[in-house]
Amino acid sequence: MKDATALKPLWKSERKRPARSWHLGASDLFLYAAELVVLFLIVCAIVPGWVAPYSPTMMDAAQLLQPPSVKHLLGTDYFGRDVFSLIVYGSRDSLLIGLASVIVGGLTGGILGAFSGYIGGWIDQVIMRIIEVLMTIPGILLALAIAAAIGPSLINVVLAIAAGTIPRYARVMRSQVLSVKNRAFVTASRSIGSTGFRIFRKHVLPNSLAPFLVMATIGIGTSILTGSGLSFLGLGVIKEIPDWGTVLAQGRGYLTVAWWICTFPGLAIALFVLAINIIGDRLRDKLDPRKSGA
Amino acid sequence: MAGTIVTRLLTSLLVVAGSSMLVFLIMYVLPGDPVLQMLDGNATSPEAIADLRHQLGLDQPFYEQFSRYFIHLLQGDFGHSRITQDPVLPKILEQVPATLALTFVSAAVSIVVGILLGVLSAIHRNGIIDVLARFVGLFGISMPSFWTGILLLLLFSIKLGWFPAMGSGSWKTLVLPGIALGLVGAGFIVRMVRNTMLEIISEPFILTLRAKGLAERAVMYRHALRNSLIPALTMIGVMIGELLSGTVVIETVFARQGIGRILADAIMAKDIPVVQGVVFFTAIIYVSVNVLVDISYSLVDPRIRRST
Amino acid sequence: MKRQRFIKWATYVSLTTALTLVLAGCAAKGGEATSSTDSSAAAPAVAKPVEGGELTYALATSPDTLDPGASGFAVSHRVFRNITDSLVVQLQDGSFQPWLATEWTKSEDGKTYTFKLRQDVKFQDGTPFNAAAVKANFDHITTSARGQAKSLIGPFESAEVVDDYTIKLILSQPFEPFLSGLSSAFLGISSPQAIQQYGDQYGKHPVGTGPFKFVSWTENDEIALEKNPDYNWGPPTADNRGPSHLDKLTFKIVPEEATRIGSVQSGQLLAAEAVPPQNIAALKNDPQFQVDQAITNGTAFSLYFNLKSDIWSDIKARQAVQLAVDVDTIVKTLYLGTYDRAWSSITPGLLGYDASLENKIKPDLDKANQLLDEAGWKKGADGIREKDGKKLILRYLDGSPNREKRNDIAAIVQQQLKAIGVNVTLNITKDTSTPLKEGNFDLFGNSQVKADPDVMRSIFQSGKEYANGGTNWSNLSDPEIDKLLDLGSEESDLEKRKEAYTKIQQYLIDHAVILPIYVFPYTVAHPKTVEGLKFDLLGYPQFYDVSIHK
Repeated sequence: MKDATALKPLWKSERKRPARSWHLGASDLFLYAAELVVLFLIVCAIVPGWVAPYSPTMMDAAQLLQPPSVKHLLGTDYFGRDVFSLIVYGSRDSLLIGLASVIVGGLTGGILGAFSGYIGGWIDQVIMRIIEVLMTIPGILLALAIAAAIGPSLINVVLAIAAGTIPRYARVMRSQVLSVKNRAFVTASRSIGSTGFRIFRKHVLPNSLAPFLVMATIGIGTSILTGSGLSFLGLGVIKEIPDWGTVLAQGRGYLTVAWWICTFPGLAIALFVLAINIIGDRLRDKLDPRKSGA
Repeated sequence: MAGTIVTRLLTSLLVVAGSSMLVFLIMYVLPGDPVLQMLDGNATSPEAIADLRHQLGLDQPFYEQFSRYFIHLLQGDFGHSRITQDPVLPKILEQVPATLALTFVSAAVSIVVGILLGVLSAIHRNGIIDVLARFVGLFGISMPSFWTGILLLLLFSIKLGWFPAMGSGSWKTLVLPGIALGLVGAGFIVRMVRNTMLEIISEPFILTLRAKGLAERAVMYRHALRNSLIPALTMIGVMIGELLSGTVVIETVFARQGIGRILADAIMAKDIPVVQGVVFFTAIIYVSVNVLVDISYSLVDPRIRRST
Repeated sequence: MKRQRFIKWATYVSLTTALTLVLAGCAAKGGEATSSTDSSAAAPAVAKPVEGGELTYALATSPDTLDPGASGFAVSHRVFRNITDSLVVQLQDGSFQPWLATEWTKSEDGKTYTFKLRQDVKFQDGTPFNAAAVKANFDHITTSARGQAKSLIGPFESAEVVDDYTIKLILSQPFEPFLSGLSSAFLGISSPQAIQQYGDQYGKHPVGTGPFKFVSWTENDEIALEKNPDYNWGPPTADNRGPSHLDKLTFKIVPEEATRIGSVQSGQLLAAEAVPPQNIAALKNDPQFQVDQAITNGTAFSLYFNLKSDIWSDIKARQAVQLAVDVDTIVKTLYLGTYDRAWSSITPGLLGYDASLENKIKPDLDKANQLLDEAGWKKGADGIREKDGKKLILRYLDGSPNREKRNDIAAIVQQQLKAIGVNVTLNITKDTSTPLKEGNFDLFGNSQVKADPDVMRSIFQSGKEYANGGTNWSNLSDPEIDKLLDLGSEESDLEKRKEAYTKIQQYLIDHAVILPIYVFPYTVAHPKTVEGLKFDLLGYPQFYDVSIHK
């Protein structure tokens, strides 16, 4: 498969057999693997008790800092908790942080950006300046302000992360809308008398969505990373069952002594980000109107 | 074109002003008593507390504090740090070069690595190079930057001793933090460039170019790449804000000087004048970069020039 | 003799081989002639300390200001201790020796101290050290708005120059911790000329009489000091008599643990403070390195109950928690044997420490459950106790980031108290100030560094609540305790003082006002080529005797 695409001019395979030539290759394997990973993590998040061998809050002072073994697959941490169980239970908050902040930040940013770019004029100017003001405020300050306003909770972590991503989504959406609305097919549609909203819904939006969706999928992963960064700065939420990012931030001091404590949660994040990206790519191909034959 | 730029600059000023106001507001409503925090349990009498509150002007109503801050700001007076008693402006200016250097190096890492991998991956779509390039790209966005930083530090500084673990003197101190911070952005740019290039390749105008018999290389680099630069450029504009935020973490990990660390410390200590000063500077940096990005849009994509 | 006291009081624990212990012991006794005030005889000759070199020392946090009179941070003390000297020096056994003052007398009523000063001392800017200079320092402190200095001088009223080298310090009431305060670097003597010249910027240009001169402070990067070549008035606690062995002393500010410790391991820096417990073991096994640990005296890190809280004003409920929290397990788990557990509100190194409290409280879940039953708290369906439809909730307040693994203590306490049906909610936040002020907490962790048991007065006396600018976290208000605290502060009879403090310590445990957790050891990692690093009673490092062996 790989050879075929490498040799053939790209656009031909694109045009004539959209997304077919590589359907059975390595990419598919990756996709299945990715779907499996995400599915597994979703199961973990919903019913962690089915997967985890131990309770995530069980602190066994006799089993401190144990390296991976048959008894503790991924070792134990500095409380004597089972790292594997911690990761399994931690998936709930991790996925929640990822998804919720993308939904909040992506929707707000996406709508603002699309609106701003399509309408243009002074409204665009005003919205974009507000977005810029928001962007100049460092995320850590936002996080602190939000935490202070509603107290330390998971929600404030989500809002803090989301607030920081609004400008990103808004700007990408806007630039895409700007670029699409001047393309030939939009102008053509306008010239045959389509109304503004119809053009927006039928042509501009579908054609602008791809980069936005790609960003949003990546965003699920990066939100977890941002959350981890907040924990690093001491702005995260300390819960009984920490999310992966918090484990990573809090356990980093043990890296040279007990590498397994944060390496495995780190791998969990990396694996999840990887999987979600592979799926995001396929989603992009599916959603692209030119490829689905619209 | 010139008119556009002037308007853009004027609105940028508005943004900086808006940002200063917002920060003032945030810091004002943040709970926590700065005076008690400053005294840290060392107050000898309630009068001492009242004195300090008065000395800092914190016993005045909001509009008083607000207008006084802005009048001073317009006069170029950023006030004094409440913790170290330094004047804020020199304190920040001392730190700005280190942060700018780090931002610049990591932006360069992001752009160079990002575009290179993105283009390679688009050209060799689904080939082994594509897979590799995308994996490298993902590497940067699948780990928090402090983690990447610590790993780089343990390996290249402490184990191998190639680069210093800390400090902000020579160019060598910039390498590891630059990579740690730059890889995050690179990950985004790889994706952006790859995706937009693939899209543009399927546009009719590229087909036309092909049909006209233009060489493959020319099609890819002169037209496809050029047109995919817009989203990449947007990313850079957006990223500057994030890079500046990222410096907070990376400067701490690598014990570098910089306004990120100043900001983090000041926020924790409720040192309001310093927070305001730093945000003012990041706003200026951010706004200038974005004006440049906007101008370069028009250079790269003539369609936008027409429309504005 | 001295060595034994040294071990007893300072717990200067060298965590390396026996050989180093011997070497360190020799170094501590010193090679050169000791001063007349030092009771120990001249020690056997050892290799003379190497002269010259630069010690790079990684600090975990940044000082606020280097103006001793305006600072409140321990980290600042570590830096300006080298720049300024004090009138007196406090030994590891709590007694005092002359330093910048040659002798002193306390008046009958305990309100007036008269100091004779050394006449051969010069500030680093060339101006002479004399009574007028000392007076200027006290004037500077009393006008300054904050910092520890002001609370260390207590009821200080005025300073009076008697003659060029005699000064009288007058208090409004007797204040026994006064000398201890004077020995602190927060009351180190600065050059009045520099204070005047730099005004509110003095904190960036400190000038004292100390063994090191201030060179530069680049924020977030380094604070550079250099040898004061004229120095020959070191304290009797030091072996050195002349200028420092080091040419340069540079403090680097390196907040991240991995970077700080790694820099020392890779030789990029020569010493690093605040070594995490998990790294101590590894460094201990490395023949090239040494980890010094020195107890920081003051109050032990303890959890303070908020006595104004609805639920926890009930002594039975507090005692149940006291019996259910297994402090041994906490300390062993988190600090891996590198920290000692605490038994009392103050550390063992302080005057009046009550050793009888040791092993007094043992975890006893049955009794804890019984106490809660008696108090009317019945277990609900979810295992959490309830009374009148109210859940038994303990709001645990702790500061962020995770300093000395204190947040992890909270996590363990949360699990341990589940066993007796207490629901611990964690509030781990940057802003501890608001909940403290508003009283929205039930348990709060804190420790203070001070050389005198009078430290308890600011923590347990009524009227010193947080909202009033003090540190009475518990909101304790008991006239009996207030009286004892005042007595301890004013009584000059040592035995009576001790008695008062013993009573207070017992009260705090018997009434379960506090849960003492650990005694913090200040730790420094350095290669064995760095010799002569010592610590004072408060665990602050002393660099005057340090030399770098090639």
